[in-house]
Amino acid sequence: MSAIISAKGLTKRYGNILAVDNISFEVPAGRIVGLIGPNGSGKTTALKAILGLTPFEGELNVLGLDPRTHRDQLMQQVCFIADVAILPRWLRVCDAVDFVAGVHPKFDRAKAQRYLASTKLKPAMRVKEMSKGMVVQLHLALVMAIDAKLLVLDEPTLGLDILYRKQFYQHLLEEYFDQNKTIIVTTHQVEEIEHILTDLMFIREGKIVLSSTMDDVGMRFAEVMVPAENADAARALKPLDERQVFGKAIMLFDGVPREKLAALGEVRTPGIADLFVATMKGTYA
Amino acid sequence: MNTFTWLLKREFWEHKGGFFWTPLVVGAIMLAFIAVSLLIAVLGLGDGMQINGVAVSSMANQVTAEQKTAFALTLVAGYAGFSAPIFIALCFCVFFFCLGALFDERKDRSVLFWKSLPVSDHATVLSKVMMALGVAPVIALAVATITSTITLMLICIAAATLGVNMFGEVLGNTATYLAPFQFAALLPIFALWALPTVGWLLMVSAWARTKPLLWAIGAPVMAGILVAWANRMFRFDWNVGWFWKNVVGRLLGSLVPGSWLTEGARIAHGTGDLGGYGAFSDLLAQSWQLLAGVNVWLGAAAGIAMIYAAIRLRRWRDEG
Repeated sequence: MSAIISAKGLTKRYGNILAVDNISFEVPAGRIVGLIGPNGSGKTTALKAILGLTPFEGELNVLGLDPRTHRDQLMQQVCFIADVAILPRWLRVCDAVDFVAGVHPKFDRAKAQRYLASTKLKPAMRVKEMSKGMVVQLHLALVMAIDAKLLVLDEPTLGLDILYRKQFYQHLLEEYFDQNKTIIVTTHQVEEIEHILTDLMFIREGKIVLSSTMDDVGMRFAEVMVPAENADAARALKPLDERQVFGKAIMLFDGVPREKLAALGEVRTPGIADLFVATMKGTYA
Repeated sequence: MNTFTWLLKREFWEHKGGFFWTPLVVGAIMLAFIAVSLLIAVLGLGDGMQINGVAVSSMANQVTAEQKTAFALTLVAGYAGFSAPIFIALCFCVFFFCLGALFDERKDRSVLFWKSLPVSDHATVLSKVMMALGVAPVIALAVATITSTITLMLICIAAATLGVNMFGEVLGNTATYLAPFQFAALLPIFALWALPTVGWLLMVSAWARTKPLLWAIGAPVMAGILVAWANRMFRFDWNVGWFWKNVVGRLLGSLVPGSWLTEGARIAHGTGDLGGYGAFSDLLAQSWQLLAGVNVWLGAAAGIAMIYAAIRLRRWRDEG
């Protein structure tokens, strides 16, 4: 199947600042892509370009359409949650469902209501009476009932407590995602999404510094707990990163065969968070 | 229901207070005020109260048949005007609705939610125009018609209590029934005339990053002052008054009900005596005469251009 998103030389400038610097990537169908980067790295700008919310330079194709010129058609197939708690304050739960059902041809009202029934939201409740977590529940109920080909989530769980965050991703995975859908998600809570991702993209200063499937990440990167006596031998293999835990060095290697590493100490697959920190070293320096 | 109907519904949900409750409350206050005044008159508490120079308390004895008929005719011709305050309130509500229409959604960032749905920017902006110039005036007209009809009845009842029965004259006159339709016939003129103000406010609403009210009023007023200043400074001999009336005035004041009449009167000049106490149908004729002039069309074209600009701005305004 052809790519859901393909970017070639995507560039976005704000004045003299390059927010997105000539990036190229492809996202095939049926993937859950984590777009991870520090603050101000260009994540949101890239997503905005994909959603046709901002002009840009370069080539970008989303579901075969140019988001700059065909945004209206594109939005039939694409849905997004841009930020937490941005539903209009005056909106009632029942009106929200009615409205989306009215304007969106791919909205499944029964599905939305089923999901709402599992929450504490009442039909007459207004957004201004809800907690942040409840607003997200409502937003998710609306979005999950839309049979979109591409769902873009930009920091969807920012500011929520851990119960809501876990619930959010669980619902997304269990009730929404299937092989015909593609999800792109950005978040700072990397640990919470790593088990649901199929693909990983690290972005730093407007450039993609790592783009890989999760399977490849496991093959390529390894974390070794190196006892002191092996430390010099290990350092000779040029680890990406090294940190000390209880007198032992934990080193992160890229592309070094596992057999070789096994001789140095205990080998395991690194968490995305550690990988992220190692990759982004010096970003704010 | 199609998308556009849903968009109108959505505007109504958000602005129910301004478009529905405001005319209703204004109408209710007016009726209460009129009812109390009439009650005072009927009970003879207000000795000094006069209608057409006849003391109310001794009306039945003094009023002649001619006076009664004249009074009934005045009432029939003008009763629709009782609800003028409702239209004044409408003018304010629509003004602030337009000013906030494309600004508030950016301010609270809910624009991102609206933009996540398959609704185009032109449908969204046009639904706001429709709300301002179509739905809101129709609601106001409906409430106004009910209010003025009740007022008319109250006056007739009060007069009857005082021994002057005007029901026959009032209810037997076709003008009584025509008045609401004549008012309705003014709505297209109102919408056409108000386009520059609605367009200007929507454009500022879509453009301003902060303080849309300041921009909306400040920019044209400053432009007016600048023109006046340059004119005086360099003796350009510009017609500064024309600029204030046709640019500043039209951008900010075209929502005022009946503000087109000064224009219409000029065009209609010579077609008969339309000043003073002309019957309502004269007012109507005078208003529609407006369409013969260039001014209204230029204003409407400018309004449409600014609405188009608002659509483009909403499409590309990047909120960072």
